[in-house]
Amino acid sequence: MASIARPPIRTTMCDPHEDRPRGVATRVEYGLRLTNLTEPPPDPRAVCPPAWRSLLPEGPVVALYFGSEFCEDRLPDADEATAFCERARDRGLEPTLLTPLVGPEGLRIVDALLAALAANRCAPAVVFNDWGVLGLLRERHPALPRRAGRLINRSLRDPRAYRDNCGDAPAGTATHDASRFVRLRRMLADFGVEAVETDADLDGGYLGNGRDGDGAGLGRALHLPYTFAASGRGCPLKAGLYPEGGGFAKAIADRCPAPCRGKPLPVLRNDTGLPHWRGGNTLFYEIPQDVARAWLSHTDRIVLHEDATP
Amino acid sequence: MKILAPLRHSDEVAPLCAAGAGEFYCGLTPPGWDEAFGQAWVHRRNPKSAGVPDLADLRRIVALAHPRPVYATLNAPSYPAGAVPRLVEFGRRLVDDVGVSALIVAEWELLLALCDEGLAPRVHISSLATCRNPGAAAFYRSLGVSRVILPRHMTLAEIEETAIPGLEWEAFLLNDGCAFEEGICATSHAFGPYCIDDRIGARSGRLDERYEFWKWTLNNCGCQTSRGYTLGPCGLCALPRLAQLGIASLKVVGREASLARKVASVRLAAIALTRAERGARPEDIRDAVVAERGAPELCRDAHLCYYPDVWAGGARQRKPLVAPLRRMPFVRDDAPASPAMPGGNVADAGSVHPAARSNPPSSRGRSC
Repeated sequence: MASIARPPIRTTMCDPHEDRPRGVATRVEYGLRLTNLTEPPPDPRAVCPPAWRSLLPEGPVVALYFGSEFCEDRLPDADEATAFCERARDRGLEPTLLTPLVGPEGLRIVDALLAALAANRCAPAVVFNDWGVLGLLRERHPALPRRAGRLINRSLRDPRAYRDNCGDAPAGTATHDASRFVRLRRMLADFGVEAVETDADLDGGYLGNGRDGDGAGLGRALHLPYTFAASGRGCPLKAGLYPEGGGFAKAIADRCPAPCRGKPLPVLRNDTGLPHWRGGNTLFYEIPQDVARAWLSHTDRIVLHEDATP
Repeated sequence: MKILAPLRHSDEVAPLCAAGAGEFYCGLTPPGWDEAFGQAWVHRRNPKSAGVPDLADLRRIVALAHPRPVYATLNAPSYPAGAVPRLVEFGRRLVDDVGVSALIVAEWELLLALCDEGLAPRVHISSLATCRNPGAAAFYRSLGVSRVILPRHMTLAEIEETAIPGLEWEAFLLNDGCAFEEGICATSHAFGPYCIDDRIGARSGRLDERYEFWKWTLNNCGCQTSRGYTLGPCGLCALPRLAQLGIASLKVVGREASLARKVASVRLAAIALTRAERGARPEDIRDAVVAERGAPELCRDAHLCYYPDVWAGGARQRKPLVAPLRRMPFVRDDAPASPAMPGGNVADAGSVHPAARSNPPSSRGRSC
């Protein structure tokens, strides 16, 4: 495992608009992101690699996540999404649809999917990662709970920073200074957003201090154990569907049958000791557990991913 | 449409103007930044290799460029705690005192802070902000910003839908691709480009080779030139279409590039733009570009196209990726110790990886 440099950690609370004590989660709830529509385990930690189970606190499962934050071609169709919503409803969980950055066609797909779900009497919470999707939610699907996804947080997550002598980023030494993104959180709250979500970045602070005693403020969710490192439209696995000379930049807007469904591919890199996976168009890595431990007091919900799935 | 040229020193203004630049952009780290925020970058690029040396030189740039506008980048994807107020103060100084026409911004918190300060009309939304659909564009328009820079990986059809009225639009034209979507690449070039060492895996066989070839083209074909012109991603043939779509500004990438590369890129862009303004078709522009630059193999299969759908009408001849690149008369002009070309035909060479292995991390990738 890569060593983690530890500069002094600031503990003062610097957010002038959030003048309550630094948030410490007294109760952590769980969301589950299962790879397939299977039965959620009684203990949410069961979906994690074994080494993570002892790190994570006990807590109830409250939400079932599905969809995709990284690829519009991985969005479920109406039948699959409805099945997830019904499974969640049957288990007393909140169905939560993940949506990615989208192009114009993706925006129409999300709109149509939400309309189809409404027709099926499904009203999932929606995690948006695109301002266009947020606009869609506000204008056309205002009743759906909305949550800001982890791509709204553009803080660095470079896995190579989890070592000594790093360049421009703290080496696994997030300050968790909630003065970061105060305006953003205020704007999101004004837009009716209920919660901010992220995976572990190098700085911390994005999630803020959470809701106060009156319920004002934004909920906080942390995605574990995988952090995304990079994603894009030039998907190598999609390119593999094309003859030589095709794919990549020449196919970014083509619809894809998602050959990435299934298990993510392990990725070997010489510049970091952290485990990496390729989930379609996205590279993920497993963060050091020490880093995750430092985030736990800054979150109200842990979203556990069964796999490194886009 | 204007050609937007990169620069890093006032000495570069005159030759770039002569080559055809109509606008400029550059980056400058605020005085005292390092003491407060260490090595955190203010821009997406390395300040040591891509930044203007100091405020005095930026003033010279603005004066020499006049009446051409100069834009300043404050476009890191995120900043450490305490940085945003400092950058707002610096941004106001650049606009009010130095004469910079606009600030190029990516990070939401800085963007919102600048808007709070009444600077929205002087803000350009960076490509890192990934405005990829009309809904996202409407969001930025509602903030009152003046321009949006479109991300690299968009089709012309998507641009047509996204480029809504009420905003000025800028699109990538030449050089320096990204394997990932830059706005959602959460890594830092301070460690070297993360994409360069990305492998699909040995079991993927030729797909891995194709991936390497694609990344090589994005890296300006291993930082090579042909007749002095760069061999990177290129949208020149799409100029007629970009004009139809209302694109106002055409971005030439590469602040840290040598002046010779910058001038050559702007000159080539100007050649193509002149033809486009005279009604040339994409095929005509391609022929003119190839006549000037050479390297027809790279155009024949659209390997360098930022907007390959410009050929969707059938003009592009899709062929297997077996062009005889080995014998192309390219010159690598700034890394002579490394192999400029793949070890053989890219279609059958397991060794295709000219850019990734040859340079140290600090100069790999976008260093041409």
